[in-house]
Amino acid sequence: MRFTIALSAILLLFSGCIGDDVVFDTVPEAVRILNPVDSIMVGSTRQFEARYTNNIGEAEEQPVIWTSSDAGVLAVDNTGRATGLAAGKATLTAEVLPDGKAPVSDAIEVVVSEDEVVGGPSAERSGTIRTTSSYLLEGSFTLREDGNDIVLEFAGDYRASTSLPGLYVYLTNNPSTVNNAFEIGRVETFSGAHSYRISGVGLNDYGYLLYWCKPFSVKVGDGEIK
Amino acid sequence: MKKNIFLGIILFLSVQAAYAGGGWPQPRGGGFFKLSEWWVISNQHFTDVGKLDPNVTTGIFNTSLYAEYGFTDRLTGVLYFPFFSRAYFNNTVSGTTGEVITPGEAINTVGDTDVSLKYGILANGPVALSATLTLGLPLGNDSGGSAGNLQTGDGEFNQLLQVDAGRGFRIGKVGAYANAYVGFNNRTNDFSDELRFGIEGGATFWDGRLTAILRLYGVQSLNNGALPSELSNSTSIFANNTEHLSYAPELAYNISDKWGVSVSTGRAFSGRLIFANPSYSVGVFVKL
Repeated sequence: MRFTIALSAILLLFSGCIGDDVVFDTVPEAVRILNPVDSIMVGSTRQFEARYTNNIGEAEEQPVIWTSSDAGVLAVDNTGRATGLAAGKATLTAEVLPDGKAPVSDAIEVVVSEDEVVGGPSAERSGTIRTTSSYLLEGSFTLREDGNDIVLEFAGDYRASTSLPGLYVYLTNNPSTVNNAFEIGRVETFSGAHSYRISGVGLNDYGYLLYWCKPFSVKVGDGEIK
Repeated sequence: MKKNIFLGIILFLSVQAAYAGGGWPQPRGGGFFKLSEWWVISNQHFTDVGKLDPNVTTGIFNTSLYAEYGFTDRLTGVLYFPFFSRAYFNNTVSGTTGEVITPGEAINTVGDTDVSLKYGILANGPVALSATLTLGLPLGNDSGGSAGNLQTGDGEFNQLLQVDAGRGFRIGKVGAYANAYVGFNNRTNDFSDELRFGIEGGATFWDGRLTAILRLYGVQSLNNGALPSELSNSTSIFANNTEHLSYAPELAYNISDKWGVSVSTGRAFSGRLIFANPSYSVGVFVKL
């Protein structure tokens, strides 16, 4: 009898239940112009696009309000289609008014020129990764367009710990979580220059690189893409 | 093959919690049997540089049978059999939206099992000296769950050769003992071999009804295995190159001459690539 009671008490203990781990993943809402340019010619037009991301970094459809700081130089309609009207400079702004929240915007300066455009679309971004854990992670990187793909290139100063199981790298707009992130792949190079070719992603779609240990389900480090 | 970061330690801690013999083999026909529950729920681990980092809350529960039986006065057979082993990790939930980002998972299997033979080299002198060969049978699951990172075993067959030396003595009217051991654990499947070591002391009170035990023990990896951590999916206790230095107090209460219950906890002073939260164990034992 005593044995049965003791056995029952013990068996009750092995029913460890799955609970919840809460991740603090709030980020500021943001809007980003996805295809910025430095300049356009007088008389030419360009269709600009913008993406709004909500407070968890998830892309969300929202009306975008397009404005030009000098409508005599650069005119823009409510779809983001801009036309160069006269030589000069103008600031093009994309603004979103999320329900019940403060407006967010992104702006670029555009030179309108009579001459042939010298500066084309911005085709490269860069940044530095840093550890946010006790595991080694450091190095600089660039992100550039290559045809229809983008290429993520790490410089020779890149180093990452080899002690972590299952280390993955992501593109994300929320550096606290892999939710809504784009998985580039498993990290298999732990020092020195190397690169990833990425398809189906635009150069300006994401704001951060994120290093994530899948088995531990924790962030290891990140790097803002500037 | 590559999915074992932290498991070795779980078995080690479990066996430690169930330990009965030390340097003393069972007498012929004598035995010690213990049914116990061992568990750890961990939300942080020691990193490769010994610092503490968070991890998704992970639980491992082992319901096990530990048995010693004396085939002769010198030769004792030992079995550690976790016949029900459960491993799980929690849901990861957005603090902003409340939505589940990564759903939790669980597996329930038999765990890795140890079969040992202990030989009493010196059984009747003031110091009891024994040698034990333990075979670690990889009966558990080393790659459970959708990502292969839930484990109830390390997936490798290991052989541990251990030498124990123990001595009984009295402190006033209190019966006491001390034991020390050192062992070499040969691991396969490209895992690093290990040195295992420990000391323990115990004292018996209340006419032999209550025994208090304190153990200090550790594992030192020889870092000679080719298994790369970075390409595995293993999480803490089934890993390669795991190290720790720990202590574990235990109380055992003899309800009768044959039956008793015990409780213990194990905590690490320091470690490397291993869970940092305490483990716990409760059990009921019977002596032949």
